[in-house]
Amino acid sequence: MPAIEANGLERTFEGGIHAVAGVDLDVAEKEIYAFLGPNGAGKTTTVRMLTTLLQPTGGSARVAGFDVVAEAANVRRSIGVALQEAALDPLMTGRELIRLQATLHGLSRQAGREKADSLLERVDLVDAADRQVGTYSGGMRRRLDLASALVHEPKVLFLDEPTTGLDPVSRRTIWEEVEQLNREGTTVFLTTQYLEEADQLADRVGIIDFGRIVAEDTPGRLKAGIGHPHLEIRLVEDVAERAREVVAGFGKPRPSKDGAVLVELEGGAGGVAPVVRALDDAGLAVESLDLVEPTLDDVFLEKTGHHLEPEEPEAGESE
Amino acid sequence: MGWRKSMEATWALVRRAANELLRGVLAPTIFFLGLTSVFGALDNLAGFPAPYKDWLIPVSLLQGAGFTGAATGVNLARDIEQGWFDRLLVSPAPRPVILAGLVLSAALRSLIPAIFLLIVGFAIGVQWPGLDGLLIALLVVMGMGTVAACWGTTLALKYRSQSAAPLMQAGMLLLVLTTTAYAPLALLTGWLHTVARYNPVTQVVEAARQGFIGSVTWGNTWPGLVALAGLLAVLSALALRGMHRTAI
Repeated sequence: MPAIEANGLERTFEGGIHAVAGVDLDVAEKEIYAFLGPNGAGKTTTVRMLTTLLQPTGGSARVAGFDVVAEAANVRRSIGVALQEAALDPLMTGRELIRLQATLHGLSRQAGREKADSLLERVDLVDAADRQVGTYSGGMRRRLDLASALVHEPKVLFLDEPTTGLDPVSRRTIWEEVEQLNREGTTVFLTTQYLEEADQLADRVGIIDFGRIVAEDTPGRLKAGIGHPHLEIRLVEDVAERAREVVAGFGKPRPSKDGAVLVELEGGAGGVAPVVRALDDAGLAVESLDLVEPTLDDVFLEKTGHHLEPEEPEAGESE
Repeated sequence: MGWRKSMEATWALVRRAANELLRGVLAPTIFFLGLTSVFGALDNLAGFPAPYKDWLIPVSLLQGAGFTGAATGVNLARDIEQGWFDRLLVSPAPRPVILAGLVLSAALRSLIPAIFLLIVGFAIGVQWPGLDGLLIALLVVMGMGTVAACWGTTLALKYRSQSAAPLMQAGMLLLVLTTTAYAPLALLTGWLHTVARYNPVTQVVEAARQGFIGSVTWGNTWPGLVALAGLLAVLSALALRGMHRTAI
């Protein structure tokens, strides 16, 4: 039985906006599945439907074997959810929050106390457990949110952009925790706009754009599927147009990024030298050259025609 | 989730809301003091049955309950805006339990401004309503706090924004003001007389008032309790409908 299954899942909002326009999913138990896409692609709307927070306007979905509409209460009993913009009451302490969550999930007072102790230790918040959440850093809040989603040992965990806005160290801590949970048998469905996150964490990646899944596979196969590495050329002077003409004969040109000239090289590294010679012969001075292996961004570009450009984490969001 | 677990979940939500206890404690007392100063001489009118401050204090008690209940709606709208409410909705706690946690906290919290107001009122010479009169007044305050919280919750679930706050406040204010709040029915004229006569909250006000202006009788009590029960039935049904509509 798949942990998450969706057939033609749709959500149309007032005004005819198709936020999710027919999504099919088949996520196996104990899999980490990442939904990769830019803001507004339909990631959060999909998660809200799968977690019973939003009624689908079309299609169907089952989570942990239960229909998200007809058996919503059973779905809620089976899932843990950490939503984007971790909503935490700033006046509560971390310990109080986890205990409240435990009570809402029907745990006894004693069990809730023990659960709070073990989860706070698990996410390394023992020292901050009795401080008000308002004093926590972004990373601490996300870890607390994650811990609170685990009070009832859910079979399926939904993480909506779990690391958006976090610094790299906090992000890595969350990744390690997610990997550990997965090793313990939890199915994880996460959404992200970070390529690296999907690449590192996910067993499979679904690329979503304008409410539709445009590609879905393991990160390795997705990247291999689009083929060749590309050469990223930066020039000393502003002569990108001429450079593009020169390199056009060596491979398929790609849309440029930040003023660099990009060309696919079918021969891989062996194709670099002729390009450099040709640029030299044309009198174009090269500032830097990079041979870039395909990334999920390339897959994204290939499938959607545009780059995935996530917002960068804000400076200073560290612990 | 069993009955006991549900009670525990409800109580956990009540306790959380207790963080906001102090809000709105002072407002009804300030209104009471202001109005008794400005309109205190109304009791010189022929047909006015009691000293004005005794007449007015139950109204201020109910206003306090209205403010507290409406604040529940505003707080819920804030929780919806900030995503906290989603946390409750994805838990397996049944929707009625979540709603009960919200509105019962309002019932308890509405006692705080009421007690504060009563202490000030007795200090400036409001008549002691007797233990029975006091208990009925406090019961009615809790009931109106719950009614107002259901109203606030319904609007919060519909508009999902704190910008609906004025509607939440105004609804309860209108309901209380268009009664015999400020003068006996015999002294009201025109449309206000008609509205006050049929507004069920008039019965609620009179039930809360009886001990302050006379003695407590069953005949003055039951219409108020019936009116409260009716208001509660209608508004809690609306709020529950809102809960079921807000998510699956």
